[in-house]
Amino acid sequence: MKDEIAIRVRGVSHQFGEEGETRHVRALLDTSLDVVRGELMCLIGPSGCGKSTLLNMVGGLLRPATGSVEVAGRPVRGPMPQEIAFVFQENALFPWNTVFENIMLGMRFQGVAKDLREPRAHRAIEAVGLTEFAQHYPSQLSGGMRQRAALARALSLETDIMLMDEPFGALDEQTRMILGEDLSVLLARTEKTIVFVTHSLGEAVFLADRVAVFSARPGTIKQIIEVDEPHPRKPDFVTSPKFTALRNQLYGLLHDEIRKTVGAPAGEAR
Amino acid sequence: MARPGRIRRIIAAPGFARVGVIVAMFAVWEIAARWFVDPLFLSPPSRVIASLGTVLRTPGVPAALQVTLLELSAAFALSVVIGLVVGLAVGLQSFSRRTFMPIVLLLYGIPQITILPLFILYFGIGPASKIAFGVSHGIFPIIVTVVAGVQNLKPILLLSARSMGAGRWQQLRWVIFPHMIPTLFTGMRLGMTGVLLGVLLAELYVSTAGIGYFTTLFTQNFDPTKLLGLIGMLATMAIVLNQVVRRTEEKFSKWQTP
Amino acid sequence: MKNRRAWHQGIASRLVQAAFLLGGLILWFLATTRWGVNQLLLPKPGIVLQNLADILASGEFVGDLLVTLTELAAAFVIATIAGTILGYAISRSRYAISVFEPLLSGIYAIPLILFLPLYVLFFGLGPASKIALGATISFFPIVLNTIAGFGQVERSLVKASHAMGASDYQLFRYVLLPAARPVILTGLRMGFTVALLAIIGSEAIASLAGLGHRIVHLSEGMETARMFAYIAFVVAIAVILNAVVSGLEARGRRP
Repeated sequence: MKDEIAIRVRGVSHQFGEEGETRHVRALLDTSLDVVRGELMCLIGPSGCGKSTLLNMVGGLLRPATGSVEVAGRPVRGPMPQEIAFVFQENALFPWNTVFENIMLGMRFQGVAKDLREPRAHRAIEAVGLTEFAQHYPSQLSGGMRQRAALARALSLETDIMLMDEPFGALDEQTRMILGEDLSVLLARTEKTIVFVTHSLGEAVFLADRVAVFSARPGTIKQIIEVDEPHPRKPDFVTSPKFTALRNQLYGLLHDEIRKTVGAPAGEAR
Repeated sequence: MARPGRIRRIIAAPGFARVGVIVAMFAVWEIAARWFVDPLFLSPPSRVIASLGTVLRTPGVPAALQVTLLELSAAFALSVVIGLVVGLAVGLQSFSRRTFMPIVLLLYGIPQITILPLFILYFGIGPASKIAFGVSHGIFPIIVTVVAGVQNLKPILLLSARSMGAGRWQQLRWVIFPHMIPTLFTGMRLGMTGVLLGVLLAELYVSTAGIGYFTTLFTQNFDPTKLLGLIGMLATMAIVLNQVVRRTEEKFSKWQTP
Repeated sequence: MKNRRAWHQGIASRLVQAAFLLGGLILWFLATTRWGVNQLLLPKPGIVLQNLADILASGEFVGDLLVTLTELAAAFVIATIAGTILGYAISRSRYAISVFEPLLSGIYAIPLILFLPLYVLFFGLGPASKIALGATISFFPIVLNTIAGFGQVERSLVKASHAMGASDYQLFRYVLLPAARPVILTGLRMGFTVALLAIIGSEAIASLAGLGHRIVHLSEGMETARMFAYIAFVVAIAVILNAVVSGLEARGRRP
């Protein structure tokens, strides 16, 4: 088993606004994390705990106030399009391009040779099951199909690492389930390292090899849980006792943190 | 069996009534001009249309019309280019927008008719001043529209492009520019209105050459027939140009969410 | 970090704007005093100011100002009466709206200044032709906004009022008018602005009096410095008038 570290995060913290200002928010506090090559690591935690901030730092879209981030052995100073591909929650497809054109454009940005682009695009579109819709515009697609397209675009970049920020967050539960299963099947075929931010306990247990649980703001990693189950995960894994036990464990860890963020229930003293 | 229903639907359609209104207006004009108003002041449409040929045969008129059309095209093209460049320069960075937009809006609000004599003074009575005045009217709506368009570009799109390795130029060419196209066309439609106003205003002002010469001539000679003919041709030119820009605008909005 | 940066940016913006303005004035000064630009093309700022002071002190502007303002008032009043009445009449029926609204928008899209020579032929070079053109151009935003204002009153409000027994007059006064008022006021403001432009413009092209004419007259006489002074004066009047009208519009829109 390859225990090579793909992403090494050491003591990062980040804040918005200056100390003393009303807008001052400490998003992350002294967080460290190692992501092993080829694993799918889930980041889960209450709102505002900094998991998206951490993801953006790993991807080079944000500079940490303290600490360091290393990807593939090199310090991260900015976006690394050759190594890292993003899938955002918000629809980041260019609305004036078709699905196919969106994917082709991504490869142009990355610098893929012209004659390699088309076959890669078709492969990616097939992998996510959108072959029929390749010439559609994003406005003509459902939310689930749009995220498939975003996924295809990330896949076509053929990076070792994929960072996904609540990619299914805006979708309904049923679409999420289907997409989660398809994602698991797809990723079993590749050896990508994936960091996946989510709010959903079930999603985290279903997809991840390890789940990093964040504490409430200012966030830091409270605990990392292992999910020892081979990929691709079958749909019946969800109903197994192992799944339920892990999910309960996550729930226990998270519940207090979420309460800290939201506040005590009505009628209870703080 | 379907016939009477179809005819009734055609008559009920607003377009039918609109045509009817236009026909009625022409009829009133015709009657008033023929029997009620002194022919020195008003001419019926029938005579105006019949005399169009004479107007066009008046030496200098076809040339003046051609020059006006060229001025309109040149002013429009320049307005779009300048408006786009300035709009992007101002709108792409929040600092330049904060600093220069108030200046742009200030200039936009000046009644430019007051400086028309200055334009003629500086650029002469030839096409240059007309084009300049047209550009002066056309660039402002375009700048304002372009700045607004850049502002409503979703930041996630630029973030996504950056994450895929797009450099500044690539972001401009493949993200900002395609996003701007529908907005630009809206701006172009408004810009065309401005250009028409500017160029025609300048043309009418200069009474020693161009269109202004002939409008003055026909007015002083109390020749409403020729005057109406000339105005009619100019109005048609304006309508056609407006329609062309409007149609192109509609064509380019196809990828927007319905 | 972000708040302080925003504050710094705000000050920097103001500085650049001030520098722009100052730079423009300095260029003007240098061009006329050091770089030898022809006085007839670009007069010295000092002389322009002198002329302006002279115009204001002597009251020379009063005659032309009165002419322009009277023409403006007459044109605006005519356009308002015609526009609001016609607009209300058309708004009474959806069919009428669908027939007339596109026609009126279509006509407004043409640069109506083209009809000035016609009006001059008809009414001569006096105020009547300016009033006619001003009223014509001003009519359109008023009628279009009146149609829009009354047309977008929710059907449900009208039905409910009828059900409660409201007479036509009561419906108009207590339901339609208040609902339509903001849009109509905007239309009136727009009508005023274009009327002012139309009047000054037509005075410039074909007139014997008025502020627009005065500017043209001075340019033809190559009295460039005095013309600059009048341009500044007219721009100031326009800005003041427009500000007043916008203020009235805002006041009137408050419920």
